[in-house]
Amino acid sequence: MMQAIRNWIINSSVLESLGLFYQTVVFIYGTTLLAVYAILAVMSLISIRRYLKKNASVDYGIILESPLAPGISVVAPAFNEGVTIIQNVRSLLTFNYPKFEVIIINDGSTDDTLEKLITEFQLVHVEYAFREKLNCMPIQRIFKSTNTAYDKLLVIDKINGKSKADGSNAGINLAKYDYYLCTDVDCILDKDTLIKLIKPFMDQPTEVDPKTGEDRSKRVIASGATLRMVNSCDVDEGLLIRARPPRRFLPRFQEMEYIRAFVLGKMGWDLINSVPNVSGGLGMFDTEISVKAGGYDSKSFGEDMDLITRMCSYMKSNNKRYAVKYVPLTLCWTEGPTTLKVFGRQRSRWARGLAQIMSIHRKILFNPRFGRLGLIVFTYNFFFELLAPLIEFGGILFYIYLIITGQINWPYAIILIVFVYTFSVMITTLALLWDQLSFKYYKTWGEVIGLCLMAFLEPFLYHPLILFFALKGYFNFITNRKHVWGNMQRQGFGNQKKKTEPKPEAPPMPAA
Amino acid sequence: MFSSLFNLVFSAYEQFIYLPLFIEIAIVFIYIAVFATVIAYSVILYKRWKAYVEEKRLAFISPKIEQMITEQVLLNENLERLPVEEIEFDRAALDDPAFKHKWVRQAIIDIIIQYRRNFRGEVGELLRKLYIDMDLGKESFDKLKNIRWEIQIKALTELTKMDITISDVTILPLTNSLKPELRAAARNAYVQLSKNEPFKFFDIATEPLLPWDQLELFKIITTTKEISIPNFSRWVSYSDNKSIVSFCLKLIAHYDQQSAIPAVMGLLNNKDHMFRADAINCLGKLSAEQSESKLIEIYNTQPLICQLEILKAIGRIASGRHLEFLKNEFLYSYNFDIRMNAARSLIRHNTPISRAMVQEMLETSEEEAKLIIKHCQNPLIK
Repeated sequence: MMQAIRNWIINSSVLESLGLFYQTVVFIYGTTLLAVYAILAVMSLISIRRYLKKNASVDYGIILESPLAPGISVVAPAFNEGVTIIQNVRSLLTFNYPKFEVIIINDGSTDDTLEKLITEFQLVHVEYAFREKLNCMPIQRIFKSTNTAYDKLLVIDKINGKSKADGSNAGINLAKYDYYLCTDVDCILDKDTLIKLIKPFMDQPTEVDPKTGEDRSKRVIASGATLRMVNSCDVDEGLLIRARPPRRFLPRFQEMEYIRAFVLGKMGWDLINSVPNVSGGLGMFDTEISVKAGGYDSKSFGEDMDLITRMCSYMKSNNKRYAVKYVPLTLCWTEGPTTLKVFGRQRSRWARGLAQIMSIHRKILFNPRFGRLGLIVFTYNFFFELLAPLIEFGGILFYIYLIITGQINWPYAIILIVFVYTFSVMITTLALLWDQLSFKYYKTWGEVIGLCLMAFLEPFLYHPLILFFALKGYFNFITNRKHVWGNMQRQGFGNQKKKTEPKPEAPPMPAA
Repeated sequence: MFSSLFNLVFSAYEQFIYLPLFIEIAIVFIYIAVFATVIAYSVILYKRWKAYVEEKRLAFISPKIEQMITEQVLLNENLERLPVEEIEFDRAALDDPAFKHKWVRQAIIDIIIQYRRNFRGEVGELLRKLYIDMDLGKESFDKLKNIRWEIQIKALTELTKMDITISDVTILPLTNSLKPELRAAARNAYVQLSKNEPFKFFDIATEPLLPWDQLELFKIITTTKEISIPNFSRWVSYSDNKSIVSFCLKLIAHYDQQSAIPAVMGLLNNKDHMFRADAINCLGKLSAEQSESKLIEIYNTQPLICQLEILKAIGRIASGRHLEFLKNEFLYSYNFDIRMNAARSLIRHNTPISRAMVQEMLETSEEEAKLIIKHCQNPLIK
C-alpha cells in the first residue's frame, strides 16, 4: 500500500510540475525577497542617519511656548479599561505640548470606566454641537471637566461599536484640531510624542503654482514612530521609568520583530516615501485628509493599514502630492501578548486584515495611476507579505514530498537551509544594530545580548508560529469565519500576574 | 605552507564552480551573511563600549571644568568691582594641560553654553569673556568652515549662544543654503547676531521658510532683547517669497502693527486662497475695522477656508456693524462650520444688541441652532 502511494506520488505529473515550480520560480522568488530585505536594510540606514543628522541640533523645547504650534487632538478609545483608565488618562494629559486636547471615547464599557472618569476628573455632561463626518455608533453623552486643570479633556460616551475603528471615528468627529494622534488608551507614550510626530508635518515646504495659485506642496498626511513591548519595563503612574526587553520569550520575540519591522522596515520605506502603514497603536494624521478618505473602516481587520491606503489613494486620485513619514524613535510602549492563545488570535487577525485589504483595494495593485502605492507598496505587500506564508507552506509540503520519495539532495538542501537561516539572522542583527545607532534604549550589555540571541532562535521557535497563525488568518478570511474579540482585562502596570489581550494594532510587517 | 594553502583554496574553487548556480549563489550569500552578522555585532559592541568610555571620560573631566568655571567666573571677586572687560582670569588655571585636548575643549564649550543659559547679566558676560580668552571661538569658527553641514550648524549654535559676531559675508550665503537645516540655523543666527539689520536676509531669501523654521524664528524674534522690530508690511508688499510674507503676517499680528493694515488688505486679491486666509486672519487679529466692508464684500466669492476666516475676523473686530450678516449666516447656511463660526462671532461681540439677538435665536430657532448656541456659550468648551 505504502509503496503504491509512493509510486503514485513519484509518477504524478502535477507533483512533477510543482517540483519544477519550486526548484526554479520559488528560488528566484526567495532570492528576490532576501535581496529586497537587503536593499531595505541599506535604505533604512540612510533614512535613520539622515533623521539623526537633521534633528541633532533641533531644539524641540522651542515649540512649547509658541503660539504658532499647530493644535493636536489625541484620540484614545477605551473599552473596559476601569483598572488603569485613571493613570492612563493622567499620563495622556501630561504631554509636553502647548496646544492639544485629549478625547477619551468610552466605547460602551460594561465596567466602571466611565464612572471612574466622571468622579476623578470632575466631569459634567455638556451640550456639544458637532457634525458627524465619519460613521460611528451613536454618541450618548459628552463630558467636560469643571476643573480647569483638566480643561484639555473631553470624554465621549457612546454605544459599543465592537471595534477600535468605530471609537476612533467618534473621536475624530469631535476633534477640533487639524491633526490627530490615534493611540490605545493603555499604551505608554513618551512625553514628547506630540512634538516628535508633528515635526515631519512642519518640515515640508509650501509650494504654490505661480500661475494657478494651486497648492503643489508635498503634504504630509501621516507620521508614525516605533512601538516596543512594555511587558518588563518599569512603569510608574503611566510613566516609563526604565526600559527593558521582555523577560518572557514570546513578548521578547515580538520586541525583536517590532524593532525589525519599524526600524528596518518602515524607516527603509520612508526613504522612498512608500510607508505602507502607520500603526494603530501610535500614529498622527492629517484630520482633513483622514475625514475625506472616510476615516476608519469598522469592518476592517486591518483598519490602520486600510486608512493609510485610502488616504494615499485619495491624494493620488485628486492629483495631490503626499508623504507618510516615520521617525526612528520609540515613542510608544505597548503590552505584547504573553500567551499563545492571545498571540495567535492577534496574528490571525492581522493576516486576515492583510488579505482583506488586498482584496478590497485590488484595483490599486500594479496600477501605475496610484504611483508608488500601486507599484511599490501594494506590489511588495502582495508578493512578499500576502503570498509569502502560502509559498513557504507549499515549500514545506514539497520538502516533505521530496523526503518521502527519497529525491532530496541532502547536501544541497542543507546549504539552502543554512543560506536562509544565516540571511534571516543577518537581517535581524542589522535591525538591532540600526536600533542601537539611533537610540540606546537598553542600559546593560546583557539586555542587548539577550535580545540579539532571539535572532538565532527565531527561525526555529517563533517563525513557525507566525506562519501557522498567518495561514489560519487566511483560512478565516476565505471561509469568512466570525472573529471572536477577546476580553481586554487589565490589572495595571507592574502587576506581573496580569493577563492581557492585545489591542488590535498594526501588523509591524515582518522583515524576515 | 603557502603552496598547500593555495592548493586547498584552488581545490575548493574547483569544486565550487561545478556546483549548480543556485547553490553557488547560496554559498556566496552564506559567507556575506555570516560576515555581515559578525561585523554588526562588533559594531554594536564597539559603539556601546565607545559610549561607555566617553561617558566615563566626561564624568572625569566635567567636575574639573566646572570647578574652573566656578573659581574663575562665579566666585570671581572682581565681578562686583570691575567692568567685565577689565577682569583678568588666572592664566595658569585656563592653561591647564588637561584642557588642551580637542574633546575637552568641546566639553568646555558645551558646559559654558549650559551655564550661559542659567546666568545672564555680568556673569553671563564673564562666561563669554572666558570663552573668548580661552580661544574657544577658534574651535567654533573652524567648525564653521567644515564641509559637513551638521558641523556648521553646531558652530552657528555655539557662536550664537556666545553672542560672537559673524561677518555678513560668511553668514548671509548660508541663509540661502539648499540644506534646509543649515539655512534655518543661519537665519536664526543672523537675527540674533546682526545688531543693525537683523531682517536683512528677508530681502534676499529665495528658499522657503518652513513652518518649523517660522516657529524657531518667531521665538527668537519675540524673545531676543535689543532687537529693533521693523515694519513688516514692507515684505508683505514687496517680497516674492510667499513663506516670508506669510511669516510677516504672523509677526504683524503679534506686534499689532496697525500701519501694516493697507498692505495686508492688498493681499485679499491674491490668487492663493491659503494666502488670503492668512491675510484675513491677520486683519481679524489686528481688529482692522476698515477692512470689514471689504471682507463682507468678497465673502460670497471665497472658498470655505476664507469664509470661515472672515467670520472669525468679524467676531474679533466686533464693530457691531455686521451682526445681521452673522445672524443670516448662522440661520440660513447649510454648512455646519459656517454656522458654528457665525455663532461664535455673534457671541464674541457681547454687546446688548448681540446678546438680545442671540437670546432671540435661542428662543425661536430649531434644535440644531439652539445646540450650536449653547455649545458656543458654554465656558467649559473652548
